[in-house]
Amino acid sequence: MLEAVWTNVDYVASVVLFCIGLYIIIAKNNLIKKLLGLNIMETAVFSFIVALGVLDGGEPPIMGEGATGPYSSPIPQALVLTGIVVAVSTTALALGLIIRIYRQCGTIEADELREME
Amino acid sequence: MKNAFVTALLVLMAIPLLIGVTALPPHGSADAPMHTHVSARYVERGEEEAGAANLVTGVLLNYRSLDTVGEVTVIFTALVAVLGVLISFPAAPKPPDAAGAAGTARATDHAAPTQPQVSPVVGFVVRLLAPFIALFTIYVIVHGHVSPGGGFQGGAILGGLFIALTTVLGENRTRCLLPRRGAPWMRGAALLAFVAAGVIGAVLTGYFLGYPAETNHLATELMLLGIEIGIGLGGAAIFATIFLQMEEE
Repeated sequence: MLEAVWTNVDYVASVVLFCIGLYIIIAKNNLIKKLLGLNIMETAVFSFIVALGVLDGGEPPIMGEGATGPYSSPIPQALVLTGIVVAVSTTALALGLIIRIYRQCGTIEADELREME
Repeated sequence: MKNAFVTALLVLMAIPLLIGVTALPPHGSADAPMHTHVSARYVERGEEEAGAANLVTGVLLNYRSLDTVGEVTVIFTALVAVLGVLISFPAAPKPPDAAGAAGTARATDHAAPTQPQVSPVVGFVVRLLAPFIALFTIYVIVHGHVSPGGGFQGGAILGGLFIALTTVLGENRTRCLLPRRGAPWMRGAALLAFVAAGVIGAVLTGYFLGYPAETNHLATELMLLGIEIGIGLGGAAIFATIFLQMEEE
């Protein structure tokens, strides 16, 4: 078990990062901090997917002169690029909603908002 | 109490994840499923099939181009949603009871809205680096299909440059970078470039977003370049617009 953890320590690091983000989302009260936690969780997922595509001694998947194999897998990198753009979009939308909440309610603390209902 | 509950929840969450992760094939091994299925074909034939030396660009703009069209639509939709959320409820004028320190700070803000107060070091560094950042953006976008980089990365750098300049120089001096008449087209540039390339591909090969990579390499390169430039400009314009809209407090 411990050896498996050590060989896959890259994935384990992603799990730890994921849990840190989840903790921030659950435990913090400020909506901006919750959004930062969500971004940390997204980063954990992206690092996990990119780590899946890594090959020992592999080169970046860029052909051309002087390029010799083996190459890392290009698919996870392309998928993560898509994911990052979607993450940026959700972050922008969430920030817009938080600004709107602040304008309408005057606070972005979750417990104060709950009392306001 | 709450802390104990949260910790228990996190541990419960982490244990199945850790078990699943340790059961995966060893990190970096060549016979993992990731490297033996479709990815092997992409690495083997990607360059001549997709027409881009950078296989990531090839996957993104050729093999899975419809995915990327969807992605571009997502950022455009995010822009529309942010504008909708913020414009429909504009910032109310501060109530008079918020006087005191905040009130005086606002008053000085109104006195000099064009020139924000920034440290001279920050101002100098941003002014000094701006042309180089712009040059790097052009390199990243235009060279993206043969080296690391591409439209999204270049667009992010360009948007960041715009945000840095707005922070230092003030909104009034950077707004001319987004002219009133051209800005809507720039915001839609990524989608427009994609549709244009798709139609050109349909004319040349008979498929929407088809690339004549094996017969006409030059046309493929030009189509990829057009999409990259469109994504770069469009992404930067969208980031800049979202930033400007959020800044109006």
